[in-house]
Amino acid sequence: MSAPFRLRIENLDKTFTRPGKPPIDALRGIAMSIREGEFVSIVGASGSGKSTLLRIIDGLLPASAGAVYVDDQPVTGPGRDRAMAFQQDSLLPWKTVIENVAYGLRLGGTPRAKAHAVAQRFVDLTGLAGFENSYPHQLSGGMRQRVNIARALAVDPKILLLDEPFAALDAQTREIMQTELLRIWQESRKTVLLITHQIDEAVFLSEYVVVLSARPGTVRATIPVPISRPRSLDVKRQPEFLAIVDRIWKMIEAEVRASLTFSP
Amino acid sequence: MAKKDLAAKHVPGIRAEDRWRLVRNIYDFFERDSQTAAVARILLSMLCVLVVWKIASLFVTNRLLLVPPEDVARALIGEVRRGAMWTNATATVTAVGSSFVVSVIVGVGIGLALASSRLLSLTGGPVLSALNSIPIIALAPLFIAWLGLGFASKFVLVLMVAVFPVVVTTEAGLRAADKQLIEAARSFNATATQIFTTVTFPFALPFIVSGIRVAWARALVGIVVAEFFGSFAGFGFAILSASQTFDTARVLGYVIVLGVMGLLGSVLLEALEHRLAPWRQE
Repeated sequence: MSAPFRLRIENLDKTFTRPGKPPIDALRGIAMSIREGEFVSIVGASGSGKSTLLRIIDGLLPASAGAVYVDDQPVTGPGRDRAMAFQQDSLLPWKTVIENVAYGLRLGGTPRAKAHAVAQRFVDLTGLAGFENSYPHQLSGGMRQRVNIARALAVDPKILLLDEPFAALDAQTREIMQTELLRIWQESRKTVLLITHQIDEAVFLSEYVVVLSARPGTVRATIPVPISRPRSLDVKRQPEFLAIVDRIWKMIEAEVRASLTFSP
Repeated sequence: MAKKDLAAKHVPGIRAEDRWRLVRNIYDFFERDSQTAAVARILLSMLCVLVVWKIASLFVTNRLLLVPPEDVARALIGEVRRGAMWTNATATVTAVGSSFVVSVIVGVGIGLALASSRLLSLTGGPVLSALNSIPIIALAPLFIAWLGLGFASKFVLVLMVAVFPVVVTTEAGLRAADKQLIEAARSFNATATQIFTTVTFPFALPFIVSGIRVAWARALVGIVVAEFFGSFAGFGFAILSASQTFDTARVLGYVIVLGVMGLLGSVLLEALEHRLAPWRQE
């Protein structure tokens, strides 16, 4: 018997209807499943609907057809079983780091003292100790993304959704944050689903990488990453790693090129 | 080396570079972002005004047109001694204060209503902007005809001019709330009320305070005009009666009192705005 599926997506379609204009087929027939404790990434050219897919999983957008299940429970809206760390700054600028990390818990009705005690654990886990009373504008981009991840982890979700969490960071900081994310994942043993356009990031972090085609987004391939863990940044120079990155890149190259010349 | 020695000889005791450093330090102090520096800046600008004023009064010798600052100070002290200052201050401050507070409450209320309903905003918006663009001050005689001389007409006139900036900034601030922050709150399963109290309203607060700042300046103009047209006490009344007796010193004295009220309100509200949104400055 294998481990049960934490997340299951069945025949999911998403169509955006626009008044007076033809509808946009964003996603078509998406099916995938993630086991408990796995780290999975979704890559695709811009316009492949990967961000839309993540929002449907989080419950922020409804699916047009098909369904998402978390532990066999269908997703009907945002819920405590999923938490998302967003792409950009989605931290409350008038709240301190500890208050931001405790935000999800406070919304769920956890009393302040208890929420802060839990938040402190995730502040420590994400390497933010000493910055509890700083405000987001006083932190670097990398630190702010740590807060974003800590805030999502603090509500103890069954699955952690990451929407291009390092997209706004410079290349060096991004690499450091990738190793940090691996460490955090290993210590918290969460199921993680990451969206990114950085192929090497996806391969470095994940057990397998789901490649989406251009619009309408469909699952083009699921590429396993049989590289042993724990992984250090040296992995990125191994031929095995480079071969996988190359394989994925070839799959979406034409679509990325198309998206450079034609933006929808 | 030789050049430096030469410069030092000109001012015995202080070397040129030290002197330059002192000027530089004073300059840096005034540019600093601290409260002391802010107060110092205000005092400095007041001092400049006084100096320019004093110099001007040396050239303009017709005392009907301009009086020197010390005469104005003397007139103000005289007003305080006679008790007239107290009577006028009570009349003006009670009217403008109460009306200003009500304008803020009503303004935020209308702004909230407009931001929460698209229909209301679309239908009520044009009426409000029409009301906002007509010079309400010009209606002062009409208000006095309706409400009589005294508190009621002052109250309503101030309310009419002060409420609009609050309405506009409240609506704009609530609508400006960051979509990302709202999405994050929704992702954490926040209710509509929680989104309002934890995202939309805190986001709008600094906007609202800046509207309140504008409202305070407008309220002071409103109260003076209202008192010009019909009242028996207040700064506006005092200015009008002083100018009718060509008492320029008293006119300027009361204008300065109003200026100080405006400045105080503006400085306090600006400080509040900075406090509420420290992330906006960096």
